[in-house]
Amino acid sequence: MIVLRAEDVWKRYDDTIVLRGVSLNLKKGETKVIMGPSGAGKTTFLKCLNLLVKPDKGRIWIDGEEITSPKADITRLRQKIGFVFQELNLFHHLTAIGNVMIGLTKVKGMSKSDALKKAKETLKRVHIEEELWRKYPAQLSGGQKQRVAIARALAMDPIVMLYDEPTSALDPGLSSEVLLVIKELSERGITSLIVTHELGFAYEVADEIVVMNRGRIIGGGSPEELRNAKNDEVRNLLNKWNGLKDGVLV
Amino acid sequence: MEFWSEYLSSLLMGFLTTSELVAISAPLGIILGIALGASRVYGGIILGSFARGFSALFRGFPLIVTLFLVFFGLPEIGIYLPPVTSAILSFSLCSGAYISEYVRGAIMSIDQGQSLAAKAIGMTKLQEVLYIILPQAIRRAIYGISNEIVYMIQYSSLAFAIGVQEMYSVARTYNSLYFKSLEIFSLLAVIYLVLTALTTLFFKGLIRKLEIPSKAE
Amino acid sequence: MTYIYSLFQYIPFIAEGVLWTASLVLGGLGIGFIIGLPLAIAQSFGGKKLGKVLNAYVWFFRGTPLLVLLSLFYWAIFPSFGFKLDPLKTSILVLGMRSGAYQSQIFKDSIKSVDYGQILAAKAIGMTQRKLILYIVLPQALRISIPAWSNEYAVILKDSAICFALGVMEILTRVRYVSTATGLALIPYLFAGILFFVLTFSGTGIMDFIHKRTRIPGMVEGLR
Repeated sequence: MIVLRAEDVWKRYDDTIVLRGVSLNLKKGETKVIMGPSGAGKTTFLKCLNLLVKPDKGRIWIDGEEITSPKADITRLRQKIGFVFQELNLFHHLTAIGNVMIGLTKVKGMSKSDALKKAKETLKRVHIEEELWRKYPAQLSGGQKQRVAIARALAMDPIVMLYDEPTSALDPGLSSEVLLVIKELSERGITSLIVTHELGFAYEVADEIVVMNRGRIIGGGSPEELRNAKNDEVRNLLNKWNGLKDGVLV
Repeated sequence: MEFWSEYLSSLLMGFLTTSELVAISAPLGIILGIALGASRVYGGIILGSFARGFSALFRGFPLIVTLFLVFFGLPEIGIYLPPVTSAILSFSLCSGAYISEYVRGAIMSIDQGQSLAAKAIGMTKLQEVLYIILPQAIRRAIYGISNEIVYMIQYSSLAFAIGVQEMYSVARTYNSLYFKSLEIFSLLAVIYLVLTALTTLFFKGLIRKLEIPSKAE
Repeated sequence: MTYIYSLFQYIPFIAEGVLWTASLVLGGLGIGFIIGLPLAIAQSFGGKKLGKVLNAYVWFFRGTPLLVLLSLFYWAIFPSFGFKLDPLKTSILVLGMRSGAYQSQIFKDSIKSVDYGQILAAKAIGMTQRKLILYIVLPQALRISIPAWSNEYAVILKDSAICFALGVMEILTRVRYVSTATGLALIPYLFAGILFFVLTFSGTGIMDFIHKRTRIPGMVEGLR
């Protein structure tokens, strides 16, 4: 069953065409990873999927409903998509648990006590322990912040989680705790679409890897298939990544 | 028709008086503000506390109270100042106190390295402040200073209260003579708005001229 | 000396003026808040055309001297709309409309300082524009505004003395009566100055206290 479908998505900023007809399907329970050099359009594509960036052309369906339709109830459909930002966009004025609760109470209309219960459960799922629940974002480490951000998205019970380079704003030592959480969630059947530069992680977690370059999908396949990629462009990119230390493409 | 020609010519006289008040008070206020601001940072205990107290006092007193104190109060201790002089003194003291805030803040924002470098080439403290710190600090303070001058133009209308024949006082006189309040005060408002706009424009130009070129254009 | 001694009998008379001054200040700040906050929200999130109209309001009230505004509304504008308001009501309304213009600038700057990433994040969890303004932007912007707002209190307190020009029975008007009645000026006006001084700094002290109490670790500190 396809839960997220994008068809021929185009986006241009001023003189630069960032996306040139990107299409992608995501099946229930599947984990896909998008890789590609900086400027390939990965982040823009991800932000198009919940209309944080409005595509110029193309259609997107979430759970069978078209979010790009002029009649679409965007705020309702966005609740079905969990989005984790690169920049750790936690709400500065709310505690860790407050960040998770606000969507539940104000968007979903849950009662305070139900929201509190759900927020606690979700924070535990991302291994944020009780002593951190009442801390403000500025009192948390980067890795802790990012896990709270994952909890904030996860608590809304989305049908798909989108991660936009979730570890690139973190100190190298802090990425692993975040990647571990993402991997656990993906293994428990949370449908995920991940933009990342970490090749090792991608091979480990992905059912399928999609390679983007210059606004297009230039290839893809399972980690196995990619190791024997025939497409020259894809192979060149992969060789470049493999040659880099820790498999991180900067 | 007679009303308009009379009102306009009286207003012109008032405008000249307003201009005189501002043209003299503004430079005095700026100089006082720079002196007070620098004293608050470099003045040591005695001069520094004096400058701090002085500036707090005139920021805490409403300008109109200062004006009454100078014009009506000082004669009781034998100091008689004519209305225009009283107004200029009050405006300079008040804006000097406010400007010193901006100058002090700007001085504090200059990084320590500048002061160390000045010492390293053998400057005295006074030379360092005059030639290195203040030229940079004043550039940073100038936006705040320009705001104070705009306020001064507006608050110069308070001089009517001690009998200075500036624009507002002219309007008030005509208002009591003719039933034309709307015309009288709307025109006055427009004049002040134009003056405010011109002053802002002037300072914008000055700020651009004084700007130190940098890569971040 | 007997003159100066006679001043003491006027203290209750002047003290009553504090109540009038307080109504000018609190009324002005309150109306200013009611005008300023929606104005800032509309300027930050509304369209360009609306923004231009609202800027004209701000420009008018910031560029015209308070004395001229008081006169214009007291003698011309309010009467021409058919209501004759007394000096106190006129003064409160004018102080409020003017403070609204200044407060809108304060709130606009604070709203701008809430970083855009948080707005994106609020959209991503499905918040409507109204909800994200209400629950994400304003709680932060209002806290950030407190220092500038406390400064606005100090400004409006001192401006309230200008309402003597319409004969509002606030502190300065009463001190002028005392000065006329006793023929003394230095001590009465000094007393008025000190009274305003104390009111200014005790008020801003209270605001500082509130600012510290509502402080959130690591959140953007107040605007200048």
